[in-house]
Amino acid sequence: MSRSRWIFAMVAALVAGAACSDNPTGGSARAGTLSLRLTTPHADDGAMTFQVSGPPIDNATVANASLRLFTRRETGSTVIGVVVGALANGAVVTLHVPDVGAAPGYSATVLEVADRQDALRASLAGYTLDVSGTGEEAVLRETERSVRCLSRIC
Amino acid sequence: MRVSILVLLAVVGATPGLTQTPSHGSWRDAVRQLRTAPKARLTRRSAHATSIVAESEPNNTVPTADSVAFGDQATGVVNPAGDVDTWFVDLTAGQFLSVDVDAAQVGSPLDPTLELIAPDGTTSLAFNDDFDGFDSRISYRVPQSGRYYVLIRAFGATGGPGLTYVINFGKVICPVVGTEQEPNDTPGTAAPVAIGDSGSGEICPHDDNPTGDVDYWAFTARAGTTIELDVDAAALGLFVDPVIALYASDGTTQLAFNDDQDGADSRLQYSIITTGTYYATVADAAGSGNPFPYIFHFRSITPGPGDPITVRAEGLGRPLGLAVGSTGDLFAGDLTGNRIVRVSGQGVVTTFAPGIPSPFGLAFDAFGRLLVASGDGAVYRVTPQGQATRFITDAGAPFWIAVAPDGRIWLTDLSDRSLRRYSSTGQFEARFDAISVGGSGPGPLAIGPSGEPYFSQGAEIWKLTNGELRRVLGSAFIIWAFAFDVAGNIYAPAPVAGRIQLFDATGAIVADTFAIGPDAPQAVAFGRDATGATVARLFATDTRVGRVFEVNPAGVAHPGQPVGYVAPRVPLDVAAASLLGGGGLSAADLQYLDALGNHNGRYDVGDFEAYLRTVGGLPGAGSNR
Repeated sequence: MSRSRWIFAMVAALVAGAACSDNPTGGSARAGTLSLRLTTPHADDGAMTFQVSGPPIDNATVANASLRLFTRRETGSTVIGVVVGALANGAVVTLHVPDVGAAPGYSATVLEVADRQDALRASLAGYTLDVSGTGEEAVLRETERSVRCLSRIC
Repeated sequence: MRVSILVLLAVVGATPGLTQTPSHGSWRDAVRQLRTAPKARLTRRSAHATSIVAESEPNNTVPTADSVAFGDQATGVVNPAGDVDTWFVDLTAGQFLSVDVDAAQVGSPLDPTLELIAPDGTTSLAFNDDFDGFDSRISYRVPQSGRYYVLIRAFGATGGPGLTYVINFGKVICPVVGTEQEPNDTPGTAAPVAIGDSGSGEICPHDDNPTGDVDYWAFTARAGTTIELDVDAAALGLFVDPVIALYASDGTTQLAFNDDQDGADSRLQYSIITTGTYYATVADAAGSGNPFPYIFHFRSITPGPGDPITVRAEGLGRPLGLAVGSTGDLFAGDLTGNRIVRVSGQGVVTTFAPGIPSPFGLAFDAFGRLLVASGDGAVYRVTPQGQATRFITDAGAPFWIAVAPDGRIWLTDLSDRSLRRYSSTGQFEARFDAISVGGSGPGPLAIGPSGEPYFSQGAEIWKLTNGELRRVLGSAFIIWAFAFDVAGNIYAPAPVAGRIQLFDATGAIVADTFAIGPDAPQAVAFGRDATGATVARLFATDTRVGRVFEVNPAGVAHPGQPVGYVAPRVPLDVAAASLLGGGGLSAADLQYLDALGNHNGRYDVGDFEAYLRTVGGLPGAGSNR
């Protein structure tokens, strides 16, 4: 084997190995969606302002059609929003991000909450917002991994 | 009765020549009349009292009753509390007895009740509480000879040394009452009246007419006109049933007859073919001969552009004030039901807010809540869900209410005959004395095209402009709650005349009869479509017959002037951006948004939620404004 052919084989092996890695953050950045999931101690929340910081966010939309969302980009990596409607535990906002693999880098904070009679909550104790991958994103990631592995016969 | 008939006459127009100026305080009295079933005050006495008898206690029972003779007058005092004074009188079969108590009429605070007991001493034959004001009267033709007992008590079983009374036992004669004069039981003795006027009188007990009194009225009618004869008796709150008839010039040929066109009251229309004298009669359908007062309207009913009317809801009690919600639903205050009723576009009637005493004027505030001026001295604020709370409590007697385009609240206060202005959130700002306008002072109120308050003081409409009161127009009739169209024309209901008049923006009459179809229109309001825009449809309450009706929309030339608050133009994206730290709103806008929501002194997420609801941007939510 000539020196050049040896180098090619080594590079190919390294690439294939990387593709079969179990590390989900491996590889190039991949755009997708993440969920802002609300945990609330109340059953009659009517509106909430929140802030999300971290890696870049392309856009944000409501997680279901019964809600309305308005956002303002404070900086390139911080978005402030208000979501209005019958809020409940679970996904309330969908974040469209350039790299779903960066999910752990996001942090979300509840700023204000009002009940459905427009009264401001005096305390935000018990409220949390978590950023997590959506189910759709997980399926796509697994499919991509499978395709890569098959191409390497692993 | 706590209200003078002079006031009643002034307001409901019992007398001819209906250009009256209501006396002081008569808006309140007028409403009280509407609410409490008004009764005309009669100046009747038993004829030729033969002797005056003083009571002798104890006389609380039939065995201890004091004796009087037919034709006697007696005096007594209901004292102590719970006292019953019992009298007996011997009568013969077929005799007509009238027992008439005068208490208020002689200055006594007694509110008496009367009961007639049969010769067996136990069977109640008749009872009366309020006939002549709060004074009582029973007229009864006895079926058999014997000793009859009359019991007089104080209403509520009260009593006291000052509760004196005079009671008359005998035959009631019919002297001059209103504009009739007995005898007028034939065409030849008919009381004269003119088309366009009203007559007032009483169906009397009359021994000479065993079937009861018949009052004849004579008038001249021209060929080609259509006349309407309209009697109000039950509408005055009496449990009576008048009938009316129209006779030709010969006085005997009956041309038309009606019973019970308006509830128990009667009304008929007739097209005159030949010019001449015609006769109209009023009588008691029951033929009992028991007396009752009445008002008889003689109208020419050349239809106006607003005719015919269409009834949109009925059986509403006594609807007075009227407001139209942002989606076109009608809201009316029911005086007798102490509630606000909601009439949907399909005519479905529901109770929107119960428990508001004597609701007078209605208006929607800047935040879509219904304001109701109540007879209990407060202005109530009602949420879109129908929850009512006392809102403005520092006015003595709030009567009518309107909201200006800037959100400020205007109301008329009967306690000091003033106009009062409040902020959109109910803070008192200014008072304007309106005694100088005469009449009854400020009553029904509306906001004019320039945002200034206009009000009726009786037969005139005035406005407040630059702090000064200026007369706008005068009418032949007392004007109740009027409304403006976008051209500045004023639609003015005249319940006494049973019509709606139309004036232009200068106060000149456009149509003296815009609509003649209503019985007694009290408050008018333009409709609104589903977007809240005011449209060319005019609705009105008819308190007397408990209806809400709509005039012929083909006759309404312009849409109504937008009513109430015109919200600042805060675009949705700006409201949202400001909430999220982007600024863009003025201090006034922020104050408005806070007031719209939770009133905590700053613009927050709760206020934004309320704003979204107000502009219809909240999924699944709506607004009444």
